[in-house]
Amino acid sequence: MRANVWSGRNTVQVENVPDPKILNDRDAIVKISSTAICGSDLHLYDGYVPTIKRGDILGHEFMGEVVEIGKGVGNLRVGDRVVVPFPIACGKCWFCKHELYSVCENSNPNAGIAEKLFGHSTAGIFGYSHITGGYAGGQAEYARVPYADVGPIKIEDDLPDEQVLFLSDVFPTGFFGADLCDISGGEVIAVFGAGPVGQFAIASAVMLGAERVIAIDRYEYRLAMARNKAGATDVIDFSLDADIVEQLKEMTGGRGPDAVIDAVGMEAAHGHGALHAVERIKQANRSETDRGHALRDAILACRPGGIVSVMGVYGGLMDKFPTGAFMNKGLQLRTGQAPVQKYLKPLYERIRNGEIDPSFVVTHRLGLDQAPDGFETFKHKQDDCVKVVLKP
Amino acid sequence: MTKKAAITVARPRDDVEQLWRSSGFGLEGAAVTLLEAPGDRGTEIHVELQSGPPAGKLGEAVQKLAGSEPLAKLKDDLRRFKQRVETGVIARSEAVPEGELAKRKLKQRPAQPLAESETEKAGV
Repeated sequence: MRANVWSGRNTVQVENVPDPKILNDRDAIVKISSTAICGSDLHLYDGYVPTIKRGDILGHEFMGEVVEIGKGVGNLRVGDRVVVPFPIACGKCWFCKHELYSVCENSNPNAGIAEKLFGHSTAGIFGYSHITGGYAGGQAEYARVPYADVGPIKIEDDLPDEQVLFLSDVFPTGFFGADLCDISGGEVIAVFGAGPVGQFAIASAVMLGAERVIAIDRYEYRLAMARNKAGATDVIDFSLDADIVEQLKEMTGGRGPDAVIDAVGMEAAHGHGALHAVERIKQANRSETDRGHALRDAILACRPGGIVSVMGVYGGLMDKFPTGAFMNKGLQLRTGQAPVQKYLKPLYERIRNGEIDPSFVVTHRLGLDQAPDGFETFKHKQDDCVKVVLKP
Repeated sequence: MTKKAAITVARPRDDVEQLWRSSGFGLEGAAVTLLEAPGDRGTEIHVELQSGPPAGKLGEAVQKLAGSEPLAKLKDDLRRFKQRVETGVIARSEAVPEGELAKRKLKQRPAQPLAESETEKAGV
């Protein structure tokens, strides 16, 4: 089959590889109809994630048709149309039973590596380096889906792929980010980053009842999408004024937002000249993996007693974490890879009853063979790119 | 260096004891203790290796490099036991088709499907 593989920093290529095979009774093979490039794939592409290996098939946002099932998969049949959640979760361990699917104890066969870096292992993830298991990803014609009896959600109606594809990751991830903010009505929520996760965090905060949602980015076209499609009430373009903390205070009568969502992660673009330069150098020589401007500003901007919800991906260590602001303001830091399985059904329902049409983020539709172009366009935000969908 | 390892299995103590006995774990020179975990967390398996490595510190270093160090192997075995008992299968990825394996840590396959000839070798 054809598959998009990582072949070195800033390089991916579409190659012929063997077709996937059932390796376990609880596996299924899915023929992929749509697959997407995620912002977190760019961290791999850019070479910031240390356990990636040449030849790894990328991709963790995919859906398609079940073409083969292991004998332990009782709930799916060949021909079913499914969306596959990006965390690979067994459904049986204590964590899965408590809906903490993204920290499943059993799905990562490189648990020993993950423990060395994180203290504990986290769940396997499709196409996301070897620290999350070394699973072949979904930017391919076919993929093997482990624990297929608990992960994939069956799509029973004729909604087009683009409306349900993002149940695999970015919609539940954005929703999880907003859900962690304890929104009960009347809050002001600030969202750093207006990429796909940021857009869904904004839309979700609005759905959950926030009164004002402030989108922060440096690209006007992304802020326009945040305002016109996701429902942001206010925007901050930090290419015009980099002092985000002061602008947020001013916009909220000096209080600061009740909760702040970081939808940026370890390759933050803004930040103050000298510190940014130092962090780029430290990342380049591997003495720091995470560049943390967005998280630092989120902590400084959040109102006392508020919540900072981190959806942007971090991989290792970050310097100059503002412990003083964090502690003295009594903030709560909430985070995690989204436990997608927990949100699949309720969010599918919200799509079906018309509360949201997640296809609003799609700006580029390409064939699988054009994946390398898709990565370049997405990375450099060319051609007003927000989300790339690939068709095998 | 500690020669202990522990893992928690989400099953009652009596079940775990029976499964452990029938699993045929040949842990020579190891002391195994099963404890009820707090709350609904199942059963803790504690294993302490009592015999030292074959040739002192040097032997230990060689075993570590080869990935056949007893403690590393013990941890692999505990994870596999837990996976089998809780999920019915061993977690296998394309990079690590044999499942968790200390000696695989430094020489992983790329994360892409196995050729026909490789599946048998991986014991699938």
